[in-house]
Amino acid sequence: MAPPRTYRCDALTLRSSPLGESDLIVTAYSRERGKVRAVAKGARRSTSKLVGHLEPLTLVRLSMSQGRELDVVSQAQILEAFPQLKANLDGIAKGIYVAELIDGFGPEASSNSPLFQLGVDVLGALAADSSQDMALRYFELHLLEVTGLLPELYRCVECRRELEPNSHRFSPNLGGVLCAACNPVDAHVRPLSLRALKVLRMIHRSSINEAAGFPVGEGLANELKSLLSTTVGYWAGKEIRSNSFWEQLHKEATIDV
Amino acid sequence: MTQDQIPSAAPSLARLVRELNGLPGIGPKSAQRLAYYIIRMSEEDAFALADAVTAVKQNIVFCQECQNLADTPLCAICSDSRRNRSMICVVEEPLDVLALERTRSYRGLYHVLHGVISPINGIGPGQIKFRELLSRLANPEVEELVIATNPTLEGEATAMQIQRQLDREGLRVTRLARGLPVGGSLEYTDETTLSRALQGRQEL
Repeated sequence: MAPPRTYRCDALTLRSSPLGESDLIVTAYSRERGKVRAVAKGARRSTSKLVGHLEPLTLVRLSMSQGRELDVVSQAQILEAFPQLKANLDGIAKGIYVAELIDGFGPEASSNSPLFQLGVDVLGALAADSSQDMALRYFELHLLEVTGLLPELYRCVECRRELEPNSHRFSPNLGGVLCAACNPVDAHVRPLSLRALKVLRMIHRSSINEAAGFPVGEGLANELKSLLSTTVGYWAGKEIRSNSFWEQLHKEATIDV
Repeated sequence: MTQDQIPSAAPSLARLVRELNGLPGIGPKSAQRLAYYIIRMSEEDAFALADAVTAVKQNIVFCQECQNLADTPLCAICSDSRRNRSMICVVEEPLDVLALERTRSYRGLYHVLHGVISPINGIGPGQIKFRELLSRLANPEVEELVIATNPTLEGEATAMQIQRQLDREGLRVTRLARGLPVGGSLEYTDETTLSRALQGRQEL
């Protein structure tokens, strides 16, 4: 008997692009099937039953039909639209950063349920308070974990000795922290303060709500941001465009008119 | 295999197929069909098409005021003295101007951004006609800015960025209403649209 040509999945919409007169190509990350790309026919018409359901950063239940090249969205029901997240530019930029990384790290047709849940949890935390940068740090570190790329935070990646409570160095290329005695040739090595190492370990052990509310000073926050965004960028193997967008936005001086 | 890869195809035909194939949404088969259709067209019609393409590339410029596409330095709307110059409606694309003009409900001026802020594509205010808008809004004659970007995530981000960079007393900033479309159905309406429709309900 031929397998059924229709299926249902819960998915986080990551992005969409126009196709033809009124269709959309939607990229979403589903709990059951990993990344899916599908056509939503007529979804750009204002009277379409799909309009508004497939906006990026929305948790939806999709009914899909398998197509020859792309699957087709036949129905969509919103489970969570994260409206508070989309109510300010900061929240949108952070949400899109999360979506871009899930898109980059989640391969098509290969399910990774922890990655799906991580995406839902971090968007929920950002919707509750979009000013929390620590929620993004939690996401970056746990993204590396659920995709098998978690950096070593307890032993030196070179000599395997347990790390002393000192300042160390970190290399995304070598996969974690280096002790003071080891000095391998690696262009990606960067300093890592003891405080940053402790916070990384704390983020790894905590729930998202604990990590998101953890108070850190500006200097430490900048060190963690630089370290983790560089590490995910290294493993993504490409520029994270939503990051450069955010930097451009901050550079744009307010013009008094 | 496209026509230009077939050794026996006439070079001029292969060139036409190649050029048509470069258009968005036109695959190699459609390009071949269009090329053979053009060959069968009357000479007069084919030259009219070629002339229209040439003319549009030679004559179309951005309107100095609203950045819409125009044949002259000022577009027909900006040079029309009957338009209300105290209102500017900001839209994403030139086609949005046509859509609003069809309503015959708006008599102010426009500003076309030629794009939208898109974090996922790395498009910020610098890549669209954003600074030109801010310069126009410095004119005290402008009393109202109507933000008519699409009600999508990117359209909302653009609207928020416009609002964030505005810092002028006495300028009224409005956003097009969002709610139920005519001919739509409550049953199929998404929660965000429906809640906005409820917020914006009006007394009968």
